[in-house]
Amino acid sequence: MSDSGKKFNIKSLIYGFLSFMLGFVLFLLSICLVLRLTFFSQDFMLDSMANTGYYEMVKDELCDKLKNLGHASGLPDEFFDDFVDDIDIVEVERNYVSAFYTDVSTLVDTDTFKQELMDAINVYIDEKNIDKEKAKEENLGYFIDEASSIYVKSVTVSFFSILANYINKLDSPLRMTEIGLGAAALIIAAIIFFTNRYVHRRYRYLTYGLGGGFLSVIVIPIVVFASGIIPKVNLTTRSLYNLFVGYFNSMFMYFWIFSAILLFLAVLCFFVYRTKYLKAIGD
Amino acid sequence: MRKHRTSHRSIGGKNFVILPIIFCVLIIGISTAIVYPSTSSFISMAKLFFSDGEKDFSTRYNNIFVPVEEDEDEGKEQTTEERKVIPMSTMKFPSYGDQFGELIIEDCQIEARLFFNDGANELNNGVGMYTGSSIPGYGKTILVAGHNNTFFNGLKYAKKGQKVKIRTSYGNYVYEINDIQIRDENDESACNLKADYENLVMYTCYPFDELGLTPQRCFVYAKFISGPALDKKN
Repeated sequence: MSDSGKKFNIKSLIYGFLSFMLGFVLFLLSICLVLRLTFFSQDFMLDSMANTGYYEMVKDELCDKLKNLGHASGLPDEFFDDFVDDIDIVEVERNYVSAFYTDVSTLVDTDTFKQELMDAINVYIDEKNIDKEKAKEENLGYFIDEASSIYVKSVTVSFFSILANYINKLDSPLRMTEIGLGAAALIIAAIIFFTNRYVHRRYRYLTYGLGGGFLSVIVIPIVVFASGIIPKVNLTTRSLYNLFVGYFNSMFMYFWIFSAILLFLAVLCFFVYRTKYLKAIGD
Repeated sequence: MRKHRTSHRSIGGKNFVILPIIFCVLIIGISTAIVYPSTSSFISMAKLFFSDGEKDFSTRYNNIFVPVEEDEDEGKEQTTEERKVIPMSTMKFPSYGDQFGELIIEDCQIEARLFFNDGANELNNGVGMYTGSSIPGYGKTILVAGHNNTFFNGLKYAKKGQKVKIRTSYGNYVYEINDIQIRDENDESACNLKADYENLVMYTCYPFDELGLTPQRCFVYAKFISGPALDKKN
């Protein structure tokens, strides 16, 4: 092999490696950005709750659970239909979720719930002329404590308190990583772009990197959807189940979007490369 | 013509497919090799949260109860030797949440579906057998719960000597109430689940018709009168 041939091969290897690194960095950057837009986003969580009908389902489930308690407590189903209707679940859930993202206490306030339930029971006792002997304070107190416990379990999201710890601790490191990866991608692209004498080669190596990044990013949602694992999650309530499935489906939608962006850029670079190359050999 | 062939070959069409695939394999491989060791325990734990199929949240229940005809000597007190024996292999054992029979106390105006489990869904639709106790015919304690404002409200009329009927798909059973006690909800001695003789214990919240949750329970005990025995070996 001639010297120029060896030089060409070494150069190809170096640029091939740079393309690979560009693909790798773009892959990592896509993951970080998806996490930023989903897992680390309060709005994404609230949107998922709204889009999956979480608030309405939580309200229905809370009502059903309180009715079950009512069957053991002498209170009719209609009592709870009216009572739960007056609870602003959306407001309660919004405060609960906001608390996680702002690192304040995530304890659900039960004082208002207890007071409103007590008031509703007193109205019911007056309306039905129930004998005081049949509505002992300690029994009502026991009932209200149990109802309050059901209320807290209904409005809280399982495992969210564990995840919140990571959200708060990893927020700054993730931001730094995003900036670092973004800078690395730009530097690699700049090296490829400005150190190649031929314009068409610049776009060729960029296409390789973008293509590799595209395939790597798209593999994630394909594998997850093909495995069918998401709908098989074992959660105790329908509201949590729908929230989980909706949340992750939306999350993987971002992977599709990022892979589509990378594909678009790769195709664009390919056509620029082709145009420049055909022009070069035409000349 | 020669120029055209050369230019077409050197556009490198194959490279635009092969190289990104190689890159993808390397990227996924390297990422997995880096991430997997530190997350393998988390992944193993996460697998526990997934089941083989999609979860069914419906509150419908499976009814395996098919009434059988009453025996001529039903309700007549039987000794162990007099009991008809049914091989367990011939009966369908209920699954969690199944309605597998009905419980009737005519004197208390109780007629309720009997479920295998005593969760909220079961107690909304009837009375539920605690799955840590035994099914009728097994020769041990049968512990049945119900809400005091719905299906077991009639237990307030329970008196010694009243007959309790349990109908299942494999036989009809009769028990006789022999004791009624008011116990604390945490009193574990209220029911002997280790008894080696067939007996029925029904319980509900007490006092009846009160507003709120009560810390007491009304236990109604009934002794076995008649019904087939289950042959545990067959």
